[in-house]
Amino acid sequence: MPDPIELTEDERDCIQEITNVAMGQAADRLARLLNVYVVLPIPNVNVIEVNEFAMTLKSLEQADSVSAVCQGFVGSGVSGEALLIFNDASFSDISTLLDYPGNQTAHEELEMLMDVANVLNGACIQGIGGQLDIDFSQSHPVVLGQHCNISDLINQQQTRWRRTMAIEINYTIEGHQINCDLLLLFTEDSVRHLQRLISFLLEDD
Amino acid sequence: MTTKLIICDDSNMARKQMSRALPDNWQTEVSFAKNGEEAIELVKSGQFELMFLDLTMPVMDGYQTLEVIHKNDLPIMVIVVSGDIQPEARERVKKMGAIDFIKKPVDKEKVATVLRDYGLIGGEHA
Repeated sequence: MPDPIELTEDERDCIQEITNVAMGQAADRLARLLNVYVVLPIPNVNVIEVNEFAMTLKSLEQADSVSAVCQGFVGSGVSGEALLIFNDASFSDISTLLDYPGNQTAHEELEMLMDVANVLNGACIQGIGGQLDIDFSQSHPVVLGQHCNISDLINQQQTRWRRTMAIEINYTIEGHQINCDLLLLFTEDSVRHLQRLISFLLEDD
Repeated sequence: MTTKLIICDDSNMARKQMSRALPDNWQTEVSFAKNGEEAIELVKSGQFELMFLDLTMPVMDGYQTLEVIHKNDLPIMVIVVSGDIQPEARERVKKMGAIDFIKKPVDKEKVATVLRDYGLIGGEHA
């Protein structure tokens, strides 16, 4: 079995910076779609054991009720999943911004969730790929759960990996009650490959 | 004449990328800061002309840094360098006194153009 993955401080810094640029591009797309200003956080890059993954998810949201969409991505030896977790309290504000009239049916909420997931996941993943010269293909987004609690989600997400690199981005929208977490999870092999890809960025001149 | 400047970014890689993007034959003395607080200390301690400032940082972010510079009327020109490419971000930092905005990843030619526009370098610099 290969050595467990670990990131040096420089590698972590590099991935964080690449994510910073990518999430800026994603935020720009969302800002234009909703005509708002998206507040950008500092992305969190960590290598976690899969059994810590449950804790990561739990710490994300205090909300009782969330909805989540998952989307796989693969390209040039790097693969993983983008997990968008949406605080259900956000829906009423989003529907206002998207001009959906009145109370939302579960189906309409799903449509909105898919719209936002497509914009954020897509732009963020392509943004990371663009900087590393990887052409990512993305699978269709899959709903993991609607109006469920975080523990239900975790039980579904018994991932196939021992350790994983998790990039966590918490997007909020200024002046609105909209809060969502984007988690990018990479397989162990992908992280090793990413480490090779970024090594040229880290070379000293 | 040597230009004294500050590169303020929480990422080590971004600081390096920024310093590499400076015009090759431009005489500079570069100081680095990991956040706004460190940058402000530098500004207060010496005769700096120019700062390249990131927006998303811990301790004191770019917006807060611009505010401190503005409130205390600190004598430094600021060019914001950020991955936040929302038009709103650009407008805000301009209103807060930043002279220009360069998006990440930093492009060497764009840096030279901005510096030339403000007369910080002459036409002969690449």
